[in-house]
Formats: sequence, structure tokens, C-alpha cells
Amino acid sequence: MKVLLSGGCKNGKTGTAADLALRLAGTDGRRIYAATMIPYDDEDRARVSRHIEERAGMGFETLEIGRNIASALDAGPDAVYLVDSVTALLLNEMFSDPESAEADPHAVDRCREGLLRLAAGAKHAIFVTDYIYSDAERYDSFTETYRKNLASLDRALASVCDIVIELCAGIPVFHKGSAADLTPGRES
Amino acid sequence: MHFIIGGAYQGKRDCAKSRFGIKEEEIMTCTEDGEIRFDAPCIDRIEEFVLWCVRNGEDPSELFRRNREKWKDSVLICRDLFCGVVPMGAEMRAWREAAGRLCACLASEAETVTRMFCGLETRLK
Repeated sequence: MKVLLSGGCKNGKTGTAADLALRLAGTDGRRIYAATMIPYDDEDRARVSRHIEERAGMGFETLEIGRNIASALDAGPDAVYLVDSVTALLLNEMFSDPESAEADPHAVDRCREGLLRLAAGAKHAIFVTDYIYSDAERYDSFTETYRKNLASLDRALASVCDIVIELCAGIPVFHKGSAADLTPGRES
Repeated sequence: MHFIIGGAYQGKRDCAKSRFGIKEEEIMTCTEDGEIRFDAPCIDRIEEFVLWCVRNGEDPSELFRRNREKWKDSVLICRDLFCGVVPMGAEMRAWREAAGRLCACLASEAETVTRMFCGLETRLK
């Protein structure tokens, strides 16, 4: 079962993704939390510790993986992978060279390839992304390119995932698949 | 008229082609220069035309209403840009409101309304 979770900020995407991962893993299945954010300052570090606290007791192995997402598969095809988030992964890949202020134009292809490889290689994978496409603002070209790239990753994942969910105030809206597909015994 | 709505880069134009048989050369793509052909089989980026209207004191809803006969069998596409935080700039604020009002107006006139999300269609009407 492959799931894409999108939606606005603080709508419960990570929490829902963690619940789903538990459901897919069953009682003793391995669950890998692929944390893609690379913390740069105290605010980031505080957010990371809050997330770690929230996951405590859920039995996740945390994998800090800011780039090259497909390498998460080293944990084997049978684990449940929770990638949180596609948004941070793309940002890291676009700025993979700390010496350069320029965004890497090949980053989006690298991300897409890695994400699709993970989706194809894992039995269960959940991808968390952010919906940043419905506001009235003229962005600078870097931000606009970033939005365009993230949308391209979202669409690539949506096409291979069994379920695509938009979380709205914590409530799931199913754009592909249905809640019934998540019932134990029905997952592929 | 078929109305397609959705955020940036969500596959609205692809939907016009795959769902409604529109060809690339049939699409009138609006820019902020205000040029528009109301009789085109498909009008895309209507939000750009709305921005031109806002800057030039025109009411886009009124202009669309006045030209209804020309687009009543077309596919119209507009980005939903009214879901974010209220923008700081007055022009962006006016843009957002004018686009919201126009979309509500077009959706009420439309035979079908489709919302695109990550390349996936949801039929709203």
C-alpha cells in the first residue's frame, strides 16, 4: 500500500501518517520514520525534538535522511516507510552544494527518481507533502521554481500511490482510493 | 461551459485536454497584459486576466457576464489563489477577492466544475 498525504500546514498530516504506518505494519512489523528535515537552527531542533516526542512509544526507527531517499530501502522491502516530508527532501536536494547559492536544476529529477524507487521497492510507503499552491502571491523565481518542482513530485507520487489524501483540519479527503482500502486485510 | 479549478501546477490544463478534448493550439493563455479572446475553445490562466482587471479598474465578473454567449460552450480554467493567508499588499488582496468572486460566478454558470489536486480530478458539479 502506497499513500500520499498532502494538505496545509498543521492539519495533522504527520499524525495521520504515523497512525497509518502503525496500521500497515501490524503489531510487530518494522516501521521506519524517514525524517528528511536537516535542522539548521534552534527552531528546527526544537521541532525535531517535538516530533520525536510525539512518536515516542509508536515503535518507529528514526532514519535521518536529508537526501538520496532511495537509500532508506537498505532497511529492506518489508518495512513500512514513512517519508516526512517530500517538501524538505526537495529543498535539501536543490541546495545540495553548501558552497553554491544556486539551486541545483537536476534536484527535482533526482528526487523523483529516488521517491519512485522507494515507492516501487517498499511494500508499504507513506509520503507526506505540503499543499502550497492556492495563495495569491507573486513569488520570486526561486520560490516559483520550488513550487513547480514540488508539484511535479506530488503528481508523480499521486500517480503511483494507491491512496491520495488531502488533510483538511485533520479530516481526510480522499482524492484516490477510499477509507475502505485502508481496512486491514485489504492492503496490497 | 466546463470549469476547471485548482492550485498552481495541479494539472488543470492537462485535464482540459484529456477530459474535454482541447488541443494545445485551441488554448487562449491569459497573461497580465489583459489580452483575452472570449470565444476561444479554452481559456487558461484566467487569474492573470483578473490581475490585469484589478490593475486597470475593470470588473472581471462583469466582463465575463457581458461576453457569456462567446464562452458558454468553452472550457475555462482558473487557479484557486484565494485559500492562502490574506496578502499584505492591497493589489494582491484585490486580486484574490476578484478571482474568488469570478470563480463563484463561473462555477454557477458551468455545466461541470472539476477541481484538480496532484493531477487527480474531483468533480464538484
